[in-house]
Amino acid sequence: MSLRRYLRRREWDEERARELEAHLEQETADNIARGMTPDEARRRAYMKLGNPTMIREEIWKMNSFVSVEDLGRDVRYAFRQLRQSPGFAAIAIATLALGIGVNTAIFSMVNGLLFSSLHIRQENRVLEIGSRQKGAQWQPQFSLAEYEVLHGQTSQVFSGVVGDAYGLDGLSMEGNKPDRAFTDYVTGDFFDVVGVEPYLGRLFHAGEGVTPGADPVVVLSYPYWKQHFAGDPNVVGKHVLLDGQPMTVVGVLAQDYRGVNTAFCPQAYLPLAMIVPIENTPLSEYRKPTNRNLRLYARLKPRVTKQQANATLEVVSRRLAVEQPVADKDVELSSFGLWVGRNAGFDPDNAIGEVALFFLGLAGMVLLLACVNVANLLLVRATVREREMVIRSALGAARSRLIRQMLTESILLALCGGVAGIGLGLWGSHLLSSINLGTDLPVHFYFGFDWHVLAFSIAVAVTAGLVVGIVPALRLARANLNMVLREGGRGVAGGGHKFRDALVTVQVGSAMILLIIAGLFMRSLTQSEHAELGFNPANVLTMMMDPGEIGYNDPRARDFYKELLQRVRAMPGVKTATIAQIVPMGVVGNGGDAITVGGYQPPPGQSATVVAYNLIATDYFSTLQIPMAQGRDFGAGDEEGRPYVAIVSEAMVKKYWPHGDAIGRMFTMNSDPAHPLEVVGVARDARYQGFRQAMPPYFYVPFAQHYTGNSLETLEVRTEADPGGMAPVLERTINDMAPNLPVFDVKTLHQALYTPNGLLLFQIIATLAGIMGTLGLVLAIVGVYGVLSYVVSQRTSEIGVRMALGAQRGDILRIVYKQGMWIVGIGLVAGLAASFGLAHLLHSLIVVSPSDPATYLGVSLALAAIAMLACYVPARRAMYVEPMKALRE
Amino acid sequence: MGSKKEQELLLGTLDMLILQTLLMGPAHGHTIAHVIEHTSDDVLQIEQGSLYPALHRLEDREWVSSYWGASENNRKARFYKLTAAGRRQLRAETHRWKSMVEAIGRVLGNAGRVLE
Repeated sequence: MSLRRYLRRREWDEERARELEAHLEQETADNIARGMTPDEARRRAYMKLGNPTMIREEIWKMNSFVSVEDLGRDVRYAFRQLRQSPGFAAIAIATLALGIGVNTAIFSMVNGLLFSSLHIRQENRVLEIGSRQKGAQWQPQFSLAEYEVLHGQTSQVFSGVVGDAYGLDGLSMEGNKPDRAFTDYVTGDFFDVVGVEPYLGRLFHAGEGVTPGADPVVVLSYPYWKQHFAGDPNVVGKHVLLDGQPMTVVGVLAQDYRGVNTAFCPQAYLPLAMIVPIENTPLSEYRKPTNRNLRLYARLKPRVTKQQANATLEVVSRRLAVEQPVADKDVELSSFGLWVGRNAGFDPDNAIGEVALFFLGLAGMVLLLACVNVANLLLVRATVREREMVIRSALGAARSRLIRQMLTESILLALCGGVAGIGLGLWGSHLLSSINLGTDLPVHFYFGFDWHVLAFSIAVAVTAGLVVGIVPALRLARANLNMVLREGGRGVAGGGHKFRDALVTVQVGSAMILLIIAGLFMRSLTQSEHAELGFNPANVLTMMMDPGEIGYNDPRARDFYKELLQRVRAMPGVKTATIAQIVPMGVVGNGGDAITVGGYQPPPGQSATVVAYNLIATDYFSTLQIPMAQGRDFGAGDEEGRPYVAIVSEAMVKKYWPHGDAIGRMFTMNSDPAHPLEVVGVARDARYQGFRQAMPPYFYVPFAQHYTGNSLETLEVRTEADPGGMAPVLERTINDMAPNLPVFDVKTLHQALYTPNGLLLFQIIATLAGIMGTLGLVLAIVGVYGVLSYVVSQRTSEIGVRMALGAQRGDILRIVYKQGMWIVGIGLVAGLAASFGLAHLLHSLIVVSPSDPATYLGVSLALAAIAMLACYVPARRAMYVEPMKALRE
Repeated sequence: MGSKKEQELLLGTLDMLILQTLLMGPAHGHTIAHVIEHTSDDVLQIEQGSLYPALHRLEDREWVSSYWGASENNRKARFYKLTAAGRRQLRAETHRWKSMVEAIGRVLGNAGRVLE
């Protein structure tokens, strides 16, 4: 059927009419010729032809897009229906909007974490290489020597192996105060292999980054260029200072590129070997086999699989073990795919993606609740419209047309809800994107709105419409003329009590699941907040700085900190002050070092274990109030040139010196085997990462003996009173000593605990789960209330009869309550069982036990109590039914 | 489902009869209806009305074309004419029909023998 036909169908129809008229005339004439009277002739002609209007209609239909036309009619009709009951429409649309909005927001997060692009060429062909000592965890760091071996010996599977190392450096236009930039030192062919184009100027050449100090060039990221250079189109060729070293800007990266580890987005890129002059790294340190600072990426050659690449990496790892017996004794290599939500590391506990999917599941449950409520509303409405449908069906409307009409109405509702929901979802995803991650580092999570999200939302809306609409539609379409007439117009859809009760049971159960999960997360948060940390976070102010960023060399940085501590300690209001490299739960520098302990044999199959440590000044333990268990604190005498010393944690003593005689024992860090450390003290355990695991071994070494390459430090000050008030004075002091030195991450130790590694993740998860739990609760209560109210209204005359026959108010209350309690009770029990199963899937995310009795008991009681209340209102209404009035109706 | 197939078969038959009629030359709807009735010795009584949707369908498939002209008793009438495609279609249909009839005949013949 052609469109032309469709558009000219009116004209066509007139022509058919004339044709049929001609036929009739001919037949009439023939009949007259056969001797009939004119009237009889015409009558016979009509009888023989059939109804001309029907014939024309049939041809008209052949010329139309029937379904499209009907659809238009259905939509118009549906709109009219909804306009006639604005209250119903508003409630249904708002309910669906909530459900769809939650899903849109959560999906935008999942999309941002799992499905959005890294904006590099063929991103599934780029891999990151990881290594591990047998039995230990995969880790991403490599030494320069290892990079060179990998680069040279994998050319049959990789078209390139590249490396990068992160840094934090002060970047300034000449004369200005530098700001701290998150930098990335990359091998010259990095961008070629990763597959990024410049937005302005050029990226690096393959030869750059080989010779230390030879290539003073810098490439800026697009956002950094926009923010700090105001998008200056003439930026290429400009001179900047990086940690005091003059450099030339040669290019700006592609607009969308955010780095290969999207969590952290480097702001300025430099050739790898420039790390030597810029960060004052001695050449020997730069090339040291134990200095593992590089992350390695490789691009698969065409038609090479990841399995083939891993096989080659295995061969290379064996070669490495032979070539570098000390550094790479039992090394294993493997490759890992890149994806957006993966932050640094290959940690299998890094469950961001799973968490996001889990929340999508919870959001789905909220949507289910919303759908059930709207379906219930529609069912009630269906009873009202029963007569309309029966009449339409009696007038010859096909069952399929009625179903389609009902579905059109539901989908229209869902789409209106969808539009509102997408608006809500946009707002929600904006809130999610703007969560303050508690760090000044350029962390980038973009949960924006793209066509993935739009397609998802529309799909959700349409599905919701179908789910919501199918039950009432089918029920109506089954409506039977005789039954309706027999029931005296009371309708048959009202007969579906069982089904409606089941829906509400599902609602109560889902609400139960949502609330229990929310409860488990909330309890985990509070338990973590009150966890024994091993230090006292009250009244401590922290601020981070790196004199290296303004060109200080290491001895000068050491002297700077020495003087800074002297000045701060003398200030009024300061109890104690210290510096440390690592702040508990911080995101910077949580590495450790493999250690060798005299007399300690690692279990078979495992090589030397990595132990985390902190670089501290004197008074650290009194500032954080970590009690010493044995021995002494570091003193002024623990300096360069004196014997190297360490303070170890009790957990470390337990592991390496189980007889408790740690003081005076020696161990070495594998990065510095020339300087064995003597244990001079034992400190109580303190939590540096996580709230759940047993305390891992930990040790401390004095900054004064390890200042080389460690100029990034945090000043920690214990104050007499409110620590926040001290911040301006302290910053002024630093500014007096080094006017250009940027100071960042100024916060109290208590605030510092709210990082993604600390409490922040719990907080976000608990808040999200709490929101969904609340939504679920509200929707379920509305469901219970709505259904019981409806039941009461349907049974009014029955109740009237009972009361007239002598039933007491209490009996009526009991009848209604009994029905309500059955629904709620079954829902509660089913919900309990389901959440018990689900919670055990979560055990790695929560601190409390997945079968935490307090949560289960609390939530069950609360939900039961609220449900009782929801039953009470309709039950009360039933109780006060006036028998006479009810009977008269 | 079954009834729909049946309907399709009947429609196909009507189409074939119309095309067959037009083989003798252009004709208008009234003539076609009478020719079909007479040539089949009034065995196939068609409701004349169903002819017009069928004609419309055939024209839609470009098996027939139509024009306004004057009928034998000088009335204005719409004439239908077989197109080349219609001719091909008729040949194919006729062939298909004949082979089907033969097949049915064979089956019935066998059945007859078995029954004897």
